[in-house]
Amino acid sequence: MQIQYKKKRNLLQNLFLSELVQGMWLTLRRLFTKPITLQYPHEQPNVRRGFRGQHALVRDPETHTTRCVGCMKCVMVCPSRCIRIRIQKKPEHGNRRFINEYHIDALRCVYCGYCAEVCPVNAIILTEVFAYSAFDRKSLSYDMSQLLDNWDRYLAEQGEDLAQYINPTWRPRGLPEGPMPAGKRLPVPDDWKGKGQVVGRLWRQSVQGQNR
Amino acid sequence: MHILILLLYILLLFTVVMLHVAYATYFERKIIGHMQVRMGPMEVGWHGLLQPIADGIKCFFKEDIIPENVDPLGFRLAPVVSLTAMVASLAVLPFAPGWVLADIDIGLLFVFAMSGLAGYGVILAGWASNSKFSFLGGLRSMAQVISYEIALGLSLVGVMLLSGSLNLSTIVEAQGGTFGGMYIFPQFIAFGVFFVAMLAETNRVPFDLPEAEAELVSGYSTEYSGMRYAIFFMAEYVGMLVMSSLGTICFFGGWSGPFAVPYFPALWFVLKVYAFMFVFIWIRATMPRYRYDQLMELGWKWLIPLALANIVLTAVCKALF
Repeated sequence: MQIQYKKKRNLLQNLFLSELVQGMWLTLRRLFTKPITLQYPHEQPNVRRGFRGQHALVRDPETHTTRCVGCMKCVMVCPSRCIRIRIQKKPEHGNRRFINEYHIDALRCVYCGYCAEVCPVNAIILTEVFAYSAFDRKSLSYDMSQLLDNWDRYLAEQGEDLAQYINPTWRPRGLPEGPMPAGKRLPVPDDWKGKGQVVGRLWRQSVQGQNR
Repeated sequence: MHILILLLYILLLFTVVMLHVAYATYFERKIIGHMQVRMGPMEVGWHGLLQPIADGIKCFFKEDIIPENVDPLGFRLAPVVSLTAMVASLAVLPFAPGWVLADIDIGLLFVFAMSGLAGYGVILAGWASNSKFSFLGGLRSMAQVISYEIALGLSLVGVMLLSGSLNLSTIVEAQGGTFGGMYIFPQFIAFGVFFVAMLAETNRVPFDLPEAEAELVSGYSTEYSGMRYAIFFMAEYVGMLVMSSLGTICFFGGWSGPFAVPYFPALWFVLKVYAFMFVFIWIRATMPRYRYDQLMELGWKWLIPLALANIVLTAVCKALF
């Protein structure tokens, strides 16, 4: 690769400080553009689906508890080791695992979304809720009931039905469908999968007009 | 009676200038903000209009901290020296015909003397703070002020030669009140030198080495906080105002404009000064800082010879024509 350097300035350009003038002209033009600042507490940002915010455990409408099967994949994959699960096996139920405790320390979480991506049953999710700060550490260390409550609150806010709901943290855009576990092969629009997928810059452009 | 009226004028001028300084900070933050595609202060009052007042109140009521190892007298004296020297030079600036506190014949020299004195405040602050950063800031300021004071003085000699006076009102009148009479045209070299030296003299970007925050924390004002820090800030902004006024008076025809404004003859002067201030801020939003040796090189190898050449040129032209 050949590096294209700027041409050397000639005497006249040096004398009239052409590069300084260029810089000054640039800042002057910027003076009359619209600021990109979002006045946060007064204006709310437009958070799109797939933003990785507050944690939640999806509540299964049938059993009224989590879908988690205790496979421990999220615990293994978590880079900050903020997930703690305690499981129990009951002899009368064979090999089935029962979740006694599902605990996420939100203060240690780095919001990478690996847990949601790896979960074979789409039990854990990072919702789009981002304003949930608290005054003590304890209330940001979620146990299972709090995580399930987070989900209820989130679903009520979104006004959506779980049957149609799908989140990109479960099934990131652009991943091939073949190697996925059955639970992850959710019905998604065509621009999420295969050749028609829209990712990266194209995705950003395509949702410019939409509200998410 | 005369003294009372004079005192009233002084109080009036001081109040107006201090309000101006307060809003110059607002002006600066807004303009730099918008140049960086931000908004600047927005919360206090409509579009942050009360921000300078809030800042002033905050600084005034902050705890007055004097670190243990400083020299108490020098530490207390430094901001006052800085501000007093700068404010004193306001006395000789003619804002409009007759609108001048002290119409003395050595006005220009007085401004130089006072801006030189203001450098002492900075040096004193650096020395008295007993901290490495402050000390380095003070040293840099000393070197910078000494080298650029010369260029600043020499650049205005051409103006003195043309007008034949050091009295600032006379200099304005000598420019004849017309567009073509402004000294920027015959003295464009001097103006270039003056402009650069003015930036350096007021310790503004790109010559803000005494308070280079990337390397010296905050330079000479590192150990200062609260009201004393605010006083340094005021001194800097009054300095900007004085230097802008000096540029307006010596090169842009002072108060004269396209038409006379009734009741407020200083309008044109104020507009020109604001244009200068805008350029100050504009440069701050654009330029990176000079390296120290480059600063010295520019001052001694370029500005002073240029200013000297300009003096010779002006004198020869004046003698011939």
